Amino acid sequence: MNALANGASYFIGIFQEGGKVFVSLIGGILPTVIVLMTAVYALITLIGEEKVELWGRKASKNVITRYTIMPIIAMFFLTNPMAYTFGKFLPEKYKPAFYDSAVSFCHPITGLFPHANPGELFVYLGIATGLEKIGLPIGGLAIRYLLVGIVVIFIRGIVTEKITAFLTPRILGDGVLLDSLDEEGGEK
Amino acid sequence: MMTNKKGSTGLKKMSDLLGGFGRGIGKVVNALYDGGRKTIDMMIRNIIPFIAFIAFVIGLILYTGAGEAIAKGLAPLASNIGGLIILGLIVGFPVLSPVLGPGAVVAQVIGTLVGTLIIAGEIPPQMALPAFFAIDVQVGCDFIPVGLSLGEAKPKTVQVGVPAVLFSREITGVIAIIIAYFASFGLYS
Repeated sequence: MNALANGASYFIGIFQEGGKVFVSLIGGILPTVIVLMTAVYALITLIGEEKVELWGRKASKNVITRYTIMPIIAMFFLTNPMAYTFGKFLPEKYKPAFYDSAVSFCHPITGLFPHANPGELFVYLGIATGLEKIGLPIGGLAIRYLLVGIVVIFIRGIVTEKITAFLTPRILGDGVLLDSLDEEGGEK
Repeated sequence: MMTNKKGSTGLKKMSDLLGGFGRGIGKVVNALYDGGRKTIDMMIRNIIPFIAFIAFVIGLILYTGAGEAIAKGLAPLASNIGGLIILGLIVGFPVLSPVLGPGAVVAQVIGTLVGTLIIAGEIPPQMALPAFFAIDVQVGCDFIPVGLSLGEAKPKTVQVGVPAVLFSREITGVIAIIIAYFASFGLYS
């Protein structure tokens, strides 16, 4: 009987511990995230889709903005996963690189702008709450995560663009370039 | 007669101004209210369910003492730059990365574990920034064909794009961890 009771209290203890974690996560970070997300969603509505598309189109024109400003605008305004639709502004040969660049930004942005990817906050929050618990400030960490993220998505865009160019003739056969797909139109 | 007309145009201007002001305020209030609705919806459908999941996992780990075993495995990897690079190479490995990608669940669970190990003092705080990039080399690797299709890519582009992104990660993943390591200087040390 005693063993049973011990077993039961051990069993329930697991969930009590989980409950404590749950409450600390809900109470600690969620309130700020809720208010911040509300404000940012409102801002996005007020700016409007047309302007955002125009900015995306403009940023697609040169190699530097293509893997920095363009994915940032896409992720901030369209959020994960609709951000990847901005690929439509680019010729085929840049699409893999743009996707790589944009998707790599879907976590660095969440430190400051959780609205961009609310389903995957704990890549950042998991570590950040740990730091907060031992009394360290996390503002600097969030900003550095964002800035390093921008550097990384730029490098990733460039590298993936080169690798795409290298792989194209090796996978699709000699002499084939993705450029030729741009003119074909229609076929998908 | 004249003064009367003047007065009415003045009144018209004022009411236009007030009307415009009112519409502006209405638009902002509506946008905020919609924002709130969208946020709460997102909380209930995505964020809180994930918190419940992660709370159970962490609770189980803390209570059963499995945390110590995990700490023994993870702490040496996550407490120095060499270990983080190895971790990054593992999760970014082209065959593994698409499997580890979905929903970023793996990255989120490892992230939360790293957080608990930081609390326990097993991992130094200055490793936090490079750790973000080490646990996340595989980000989006499961989603390449869908992500490319969202960007209206042709099937041939997808055929090349998938291996291009996967191979690129083994290179850029390591670069990212190293950049983050140097960028973390002066943050917590």
